[in-house]
Amino acid sequence: MESRDPIITIRDLRKSFGTKEVLKGINLDVYEGQIIGYIGPNGAGKSTTVKIMLGLIGGYHGEIKILGQDISKGNVEYKRKIGYVPETAEIYDNLSAREYLTFIGELYGLNYKKADKKAEKLMDLFGIGNVYDSRISSYSKGMKQKVLIISSLLNDPDVLFLDEPLSGIDANSVMIFKEVLSELVRKGKTIFYSSHIMEVVEKISSRIILINNGMIVADGSFEELKDKSMEGSLEAIFNELTGFKEHRKIAEEIVSIVQEVD
Amino acid sequence: MKDFKVLKILDIFKFIFEKAGIDYDVMRRILEIKFTLDGRRVPTIVGNSSSKKKDEDSNSFIKSLGVYLLLGIILVFFVTKADNYLYQMSFVFGILMFMMMTSLISDFSSVLLDIRDKNIILSKPVDSKTLNMAKVLHILFYMFFITISFSGPALIVSLFKQGGIFFLIFLAEIILMDLLIVVLTALLYLLVLKFFDGEKLKDIINYVQIALTIALSVGYQLLGRLFDFVDFKNVVFNPKWWQYFIPPIWFGAPFELILNNNRETYLITFSILALLVPIISIIIYVKLTPSFERNLQKLNSSGGKTGSRNNRITDFTSKLVCRSEEEIVFYRFATNMMKNERVFKLKVYPSLGFSIVFPFIFLFNGLRNGGLEGLVSSKMYFSIYFTALLIPTIVMNLGHSGNYKGAWIYRVVPFTDAKSIFKGTLKAALMNLILPLYILISIIFMIIFKGKIIVDLIIVFLNILLFMVICFRTTDKSLPFSKPFELAEQSQGFLVMIITFFTLGLLGLIHYLAIRTNYGSYIYIAALIIVNIVIWKNSFNIALEELGE
Repeated sequence: MESRDPIITIRDLRKSFGTKEVLKGINLDVYEGQIIGYIGPNGAGKSTTVKIMLGLIGGYHGEIKILGQDISKGNVEYKRKIGYVPETAEIYDNLSAREYLTFIGELYGLNYKKADKKAEKLMDLFGIGNVYDSRISSYSKGMKQKVLIISSLLNDPDVLFLDEPLSGIDANSVMIFKEVLSELVRKGKTIFYSSHIMEVVEKISSRIILINNGMIVADGSFEELKDKSMEGSLEAIFNELTGFKEHRKIAEEIVSIVQEVD
Repeated sequence: MKDFKVLKILDIFKFIFEKAGIDYDVMRRILEIKFTLDGRRVPTIVGNSSSKKKDEDSNSFIKSLGVYLLLGIILVFFVTKADNYLYQMSFVFGILMFMMMTSLISDFSSVLLDIRDKNIILSKPVDSKTLNMAKVLHILFYMFFITISFSGPALIVSLFKQGGIFFLIFLAEIILMDLLIVVLTALLYLLVLKFFDGEKLKDIINYVQIALTIALSVGYQLLGRLFDFVDFKNVVFNPKWWQYFIPPIWFGAPFELILNNNRETYLITFSILALLVPIISIIIYVKLTPSFERNLQKLNSSGGKTGSRNNRITDFTSKLVCRSEEEIVFYRFATNMMKNERVFKLKVYPSLGFSIVFPFIFLFNGLRNGGLEGLVSSKMYFSIYFTALLIPTIVMNLGHSGNYKGAWIYRVVPFTDAKSIFKGTLKAALMNLILPLYILISIIFMIIFKGKIIVDLIIVFLNILLFMVICFRTTDKSLPFSKPFELAEQSQGFLVMIITFFTLGLLGLIHYLAIRTNYGSYIYIAALIIVNIVIWKNSFNIALEELGE
């Protein structure tokens, strides 16, 4: 398996904001057909890593190659094969979904007709075809999230970066989406999945990378991590590896404050 | 999607962009999207007067151009005569620069400061050169249209009245000025972002919007009067050192220099500044763009600390004016909302500005008719009643909010009647907006009218208290901050305005009659106190149920 060329290679990636070093030397090889569950506590550097890979943040140290191309060289061609669902639902919400999605499609180099057709079909399949021509600002949270997911799939990407993609989406659609992900992986796509919902990550990931304090602290399949740490669930492993043991104490304190009435 | 004519014109220059290594088709598409988005925004300049219909793509930008065209007529007066180019044209450029700068800040900040662009577009195969060019073109298009509409009337008139050379200088300088303003605005943002966070910047933009609204309505009143005083023929210009720092004067100089062949050193210096500074600032801007982009990231972060000092003042005043705990809760809530809600400020603060200015405009008239002594002995201080005209505006807007959806909170709390909600909110408006303003104007009036009007000021204040409740009773009642602002202007009819103004006039009239009799003013005060107590007690007994969605 290791004989294949990796899709993504990261070597000694470091990044500082001001004096604060958020990434302290990340090394990573990602291969075709993997679903990477990329997890870590708030502020650990997950989104920063993803944003650097997408070329949204510059000024880093180290080397990143995606699809064989060094991304620091300023060539944006590699992005043609990448899909991205950002963590915050940033979207031009005064546009209708048709306007927005065709725009995104065209940025990827699709022609208008093709993008429109594809987007409309996907909207239908996600059950929101009836609002294709309404302004996105009138959508619910889950509907917006579906538009973002569709926009990330329009260009038939080889690599998908998903940052908390399921927030606000109903259980039925979640089921569809998970199935879509495993189907895509079977077709040889690579998925980079960051989320705080451990149950989902545990189920769908073929490989889990846990980042804490700007460093990778665990890397392996769920089974491997389980064997190593003797914990039963990803949640417990997460707690253990990020050195968090006080949840019971804090919870007790919270409840006692809740019950304080005067 | 609509086809934009400007883009068709731009297509002619396609080869230039492609030569510069820009992906023209992508850039064109980005501009198309940007124009579509613009059409769905309501610019500040029309925002306060037009009723907001929700019709699709009625391009409100085009509508605002009409307003600029009308406003631009004022500039025509300055270019018809050829008395004193330096003064006239400095004036013209003063107005032009102010208008361009404020409208750029108030309406196009969203373009300069949009960080969505980066995440949405740059994560796609689009290089930053193409995106930046699209952004620059976008702003320039906007500036072009506004400048043309605003200075258009003056430009055309100048061509016929002053001849071709004047016209050409005028046109060239307008272009230079536009460049200077775009750069100045960007540098201003850069500076603010360097030292503060995004929230502060949004506040500053908000205040500029408010200033624009006030300046438009008050400024044009004053500008008209200015013509009576200023006789351009007889002003002699003697240069002072600080004038080298006033850009409009730079732009006035070339007219004098070229058309009147006036070769004074200061004129040459001014003219050089007018030419060089815009060019240099463009170069600085290009150099600083990366730093600008980096600082833009701060827009999202907010270390927004609201001072605890303010809280203590609110604590104190709330205990002073509120009777029940529930009232204090809503007093504090309304105080915080009024302080932080930017849309509310944009709607209400301009009328605060008017109510400061209007009493003095009338005093000003009195001063011209009767001199200072005539004014002091007159009853002109009644013009302080104009301050109260802001009360209907405040009361109507209290029911509205940009975050009106948060109003579900009223439905889930265990309250049955809205009495303390309304009372607390109105009291908060009184203490935070009306009272400070009234005290300020009163002090100035006391100085002008030498203290003898204190009894009258007390009467006016009691009338204001009464008037607040009357306004509350006549306007549609909705829970504080519970409706979107779009509804604010429509739901309140013209009739309500007339009724409230009439009532205010009536209260003033009684006041006027009362002070003509002996002890009349004291009796009036006593009566007002009683009426106030009764009316404040009984006007707010409204069940929460009655206030439907």
